[in-house]
Amino acid sequence: MGSTWSVLAPLKGLGDDVYIIGGEPHAASTAGTFPEEAREDIAAAEIAGLGFHSCSYLKLFVGEVIRDKIGITDGTIKEGYPRPHLIWTTHLCNLHSKWYQEVSRLLGGVPLYPIDMIGGGDAEKDPKIVKYVCDQMEEGIDWLERVTGREFSDELFIKAARNEIKVLVLWGNICALNMHAPAPLDERRLIALFPPAMVDRTTDEAVQLYEALLEEVQHMVETGQSVVPYQRFRIVYFGLAHTYGHPEIARILRDAGAEIVASVYTFGTAGNFRGFVNGKWSWEPIDPAWVDELDLSSRRKALSALAKIVLGWPTWQGVRSYWALEKMARAMVAEFNADGLLLAPTRSCETDFRNGYIAMQRIFKNEIPTVEYDTETVDVRKMDIPGSKRKTELFVHLMEAHKKGGA
Amino acid sequence: MKKSSEAIIEEFRHITENTHEYAKSLQGKGRLLAGYMCTHVPEEILYAAGIIPVRILSAHESQAMTRSYIHETYCTFSHDCAYQGLQHNYDYLDLIVHSSSCIHMGEAFNVWVRFAGFQHKSFLITYPHIIHTKHASEIMVESYGEFKQFIEEFAKKSITDDDIERAIKVYNQTRRLLKRLWEFLRRGNPPVAGREVAAVTLAAQVMDKQECNQMLEQLIQRLEAEPGKEPSGVRLMVTGGACDDMRIFDLIENLNYSTNLIFTDSCTAARYFWFEVPEDRPDKLEAIAEGYISRIPCPAKDNVPGTGEKKRFRFIRQFIEDYKPDGVVFVYQRFCSPQSMDIVALKPILDMLGIPWTELELDTTVPISLFGTQLEALVEIIKRVAP
Amino acid sequence: MNKGKFLAGLDAGHVNTKAVIMREQEILGYCTVPTGFDVVAAAQTALNDASDNAGISRGELGGIVATGIFNDMIKVPPLNATGTVPEYMADAKGALFLNKNSRTVIDVGGNIHKAVCYDQKGDLVDVVQNDKCADGLGIFYTTMAKALGLSEQEMTELALKSTKNLSIAIQCALSAESDAIDLMCQGTDIADVADAVSKFIAERVADMCTYMSLTKEIVVAGGLAKSQAIVKHLQSLIRQDVSVLTHPEYVGAIGAVIGYGGVK
Repeated sequence: MGSTWSVLAPLKGLGDDVYIIGGEPHAASTAGTFPEEAREDIAAAEIAGLGFHSCSYLKLFVGEVIRDKIGITDGTIKEGYPRPHLIWTTHLCNLHSKWYQEVSRLLGGVPLYPIDMIGGGDAEKDPKIVKYVCDQMEEGIDWLERVTGREFSDELFIKAARNEIKVLVLWGNICALNMHAPAPLDERRLIALFPPAMVDRTTDEAVQLYEALLEEVQHMVETGQSVVPYQRFRIVYFGLAHTYGHPEIARILRDAGAEIVASVYTFGTAGNFRGFVNGKWSWEPIDPAWVDELDLSSRRKALSALAKIVLGWPTWQGVRSYWALEKMARAMVAEFNADGLLLAPTRSCETDFRNGYIAMQRIFKNEIPTVEYDTETVDVRKMDIPGSKRKTELFVHLMEAHKKGGA
Repeated sequence: MKKSSEAIIEEFRHITENTHEYAKSLQGKGRLLAGYMCTHVPEEILYAAGIIPVRILSAHESQAMTRSYIHETYCTFSHDCAYQGLQHNYDYLDLIVHSSSCIHMGEAFNVWVRFAGFQHKSFLITYPHIIHTKHASEIMVESYGEFKQFIEEFAKKSITDDDIERAIKVYNQTRRLLKRLWEFLRRGNPPVAGREVAAVTLAAQVMDKQECNQMLEQLIQRLEAEPGKEPSGVRLMVTGGACDDMRIFDLIENLNYSTNLIFTDSCTAARYFWFEVPEDRPDKLEAIAEGYISRIPCPAKDNVPGTGEKKRFRFIRQFIEDYKPDGVVFVYQRFCSPQSMDIVALKPILDMLGIPWTELELDTTVPISLFGTQLEALVEIIKRVAP
Repeated sequence: MNKGKFLAGLDAGHVNTKAVIMREQEILGYCTVPTGFDVVAAAQTALNDASDNAGISRGELGGIVATGIFNDMIKVPPLNATGTVPEYMADAKGALFLNKNSRTVIDVGGNIHKAVCYDQKGDLVDVVQNDKCADGLGIFYTTMAKALGLSEQEMTELALKSTKNLSIAIQCALSAESDAIDLMCQGTDIADVADAVSKFIAERVADMCTYMSLTKEIVVAGGLAKSQAIVKHLQSLIRQDVSVLTHPEYVGAIGAVIGYGGVK
C-alpha cells in the first residue's frame, strides 16, 4: 500500500505475488464508483478528527479504514479492511506520508517506509538529490527484506524497473501525439487510459498494453483520425480529472467544439517527456528504444534510473517549483498549439494540482484566454459544480472573443 | 541604574511590534540583513558571514490581495507573509533565504521571488522533507555547502570554520538562555508571565543574537532575584503551528479565570530554540545538520521510516511531564494541513493522560469573544476534572 | 424582433430578479423582485411590474431576452424567452449603453462578482470572475444588515461615518460574519462594524480585479454598487477612479436587450 507517485519496482523484487493498493487511484476510483460511500468515508474521517481542510483523497482512504470496509472497482464493498503487510510510499506534499502514518496508526501499527523525493524543478539533474533518493531506496530494500522475511530478487526488481520506466515513456509518447491536429485522443480517453500506468506500471502486461495503445494512436495520427474530429478550440488543462463535475465541464466544452488536448495531470502523473533541455521544457517524447538500452546491470544503477525518471515526471517537477510549472505550461501551450488555458486548482490538494495555479492565471491571462475554476478531488461537498460550469462557459466565450480579435 | 525586568521585557516587546524599525537600525550600523520565513534556515551560516537573519513575520492585516497570487486555501500565515513582500514592507532586506519546508510557506517565498522584487536576492536551500535519516543529514550537509558558497559570493567574504564556530556558540547561547527563560514557567509562582516569555522569544527571532543574548542575560538575572508573582492559576500549554500573534497569548492569560501560559510548542516558540548545535566539531556543516535534525520536528517533516513515528510527540510528552499543564490548547493556522494530521493522533494521547484540550484555529483577526469562550470552557472542564 | 417594439430584458440572479422594459434607446420601466425559491414566479412578477411602470401591458412586449444565472429556466415555458445572453456579455453591453466612455465594468452582485473589459462596441475583451471562497458577497451584505438591524442604505450611511479602520476575516463571507458578530459582542461601534463589512466586500472584489489590466473608464454595477462605502473602499484599493452607473442593478437586464441586438 502507498502512494503511486512512489517508485514501485522495488516492491516487485519481493516476488511475483506483490499487489499494490495505490492511495490516489483507489480514492479516485472509489469516489467514482461509490459516490455515497465516498461521502460516508470522508465524513467518518472528519468525525474521527481529521481536519476539514485535509486532502480528500486522504480522508476517503482513512475513512475506509475507520469504517472497516473497502470499495472495489468491480462494484462490491467488502466488509473488513484488508490490512496491508507494509506501506511503501513517498513524501510529496505536507500530508503525503502523514496520510499513511494515520493508516498505520489506525491499523495498530503497519510497517511504513516513506521515501523523501524532495522533487521540484529539474531535480533529476541534481546529483545530490538523485543520490539522496537512491540511498533511501537502497536502505528501503534492506528494510523490505527484514520486514517481509523474503530475500530480495534483483532479477525481478530490475525487470520491474525496466517495465516501470518503459510504461512511463510509452505513455509520454502517446500523450505527445496529441500535438497533431486533430489531436487523436480527448481528455476523457486519456483519463480512462492512464490508470494502469498509475496503478501498477511494473508488469509485462502494462508494457504490452501501452505498446499496443501507442501503435493504435500512431495509426490514428497517420490516418488523420480522432475520437473527436471537430476541434474548434484546443485547450491546455492544468488540473486534476476531478471526479465530480468533470463530465459536465467536458460536455460544455464538447458542445462548443473545445477539446482538452493536453493536460498536466493525465500526461505528467504517469508519463515522461524530454523535459528540461538547456533550461527550456519540452513535451516531446523520449524514444522508447532508449529504455531498452538503459544500463540497469546493477541494483544501484536501476535505482538511479528509477529515481531520475520519477523525479522527471512533470508533476513531480512542478510540485515545488513555480518556474518549472510556468515553463511546462508555456511549452504545453506552444507545442500543443493551444487556444486557451484552463486552470483548475483542487481545493484540498497541495501538490501542483493547486500549487502555483493562481499565479499562473495572473501570468498567462494577458497572453492567452485563461480562466481558473476551483475544483476538488473527491469531496463532492467542496465541488462547486454550478460555479465551475459558469466559468467553463465563460472560458469558451473568452476563446471565441479572442478568435474574433477581441481579447 | 539597572533596568527592571519589566523594562527589559518591554524592550523585547517593542521590537516585536516594530520589527522593521529594529531591523533598519541594524542596517544603519552597517549590517547586512537576510530575511527567512521558516526556521529550517541554518542561521549560523548567515551569521558567520556577518549577516543578521531576520525572521519575516505577519503583520496581522486582514487583506485579500494575496488571493490572486496564492490559492485561498493556504494558511493565513503564508498569505500574510506573502502580503508583506507585495507591500514592499521588507524591501530593505538584502536577501531572503528559504529552506524547502511546507508547501504553504514555499508559496509565500515564491511570491516574494516572482512578484515582490526578490528574484535576484533570494536563495532556496534544498532541504529534506523527512529528516530522521542519515541520508537527510548527508544531503543537508551538501546543501549547506552550496548555501555557504552562495553567501560567500553574496557577502564577498570567505566564511571560515572559526567564523561558523563562533556563530554556533552565539546561537547556542541564545537557545540556552531562552530555554532558561521558559524554565521559569515550570514554577508554581513564576516571576514572569507566559505571554511575556512568548514575546521575548518572538523578538529573539528578529534580533542580532549577540545583542539579544546580552538582554536575555540581564533579564534572567533580574528574574532570578525576583520573587514569584501570585501562584499560577490553571496551567495551559500551547502546541501547534506558527503563531506570531501575541494577542492569542495575552488572551490566554486574561480570561475571567486565573490562567497561565506555561509552555508553547510552536515554530515561533520552543521549536525555534529547543536544541543545540554540537560545538567544536571538525565538520561545522555536519554539526549544524545534526543540530537542526535534533530539534522538535516540524509536523511537515516528521515521519520516521519503518515505524511511521512522529518524533515530535516524544518532546510533547516530555514537556507535559516537566511543565505539568492542566490543559492543552491546540493553536494552528487555518488550512495548515500537517498540524491537523498531528492533532488527530495527539488528542488520544492527551485523553489517556487525562489532560483536557481545546483547539483555536488562527486567522489574521482574533475573535476575542469566540476564543475567549472556548478557552474559558476549557478552564471549566479542567476545574471539573481537577478542582 | 421589430424595431420600435417594446422589449424586456430579464436578469435572473441568485438574490434578485430584475426586469427592464425598453424601446429603442429608451428605458421605460424597471422592477426588482426577490428571486426566492421560484425564479419563474419572480420573473413573471418583475415583468408584470416593470410593464406597469412602463405603462404597457405584457401582451405588447415584442420579446424577452434573459441573462443571469437562472436564464436557462427562463428560456422555457411559460416565459419562453426569445433569447439569452451570458451575464458578462450583457454587463459589457449594458455598461457601455449607460456610459459610452466606459471600457470596464465591475459588477458586484448577490452571489457572483466579475470584472469585464470590453471594446467600443461592447464586445468582450477579457473577463474575470470571483473564486469560490469569495462567493456570496451580496447575500452576506444583506444578512449583515439584518443582523445589525439596519437597512442596506442605513448600513452604508453608518459605514461612511466610521472613524476606525477595523478588519474582519477575509477568507470568506462565513468567517467575515463570524468576526463581525464577535466585534459586536465586544461592544464595537456599529458604524465601525458596518465599515469593516463594506471593506471586506471591496477587498475581495479589488483582489479579483488585479488579474486583469482594467481599461479606463471603469464603472461599477450590481446591487452592491449602491453602497457608497463599498465603492469608496473599492476605488481606494484598486487605486483608480470608478463611477457608479445609473440603475446599477439593471445593467445586466439592459445589456441583455442590447446584446441580443434589440437596440441598434
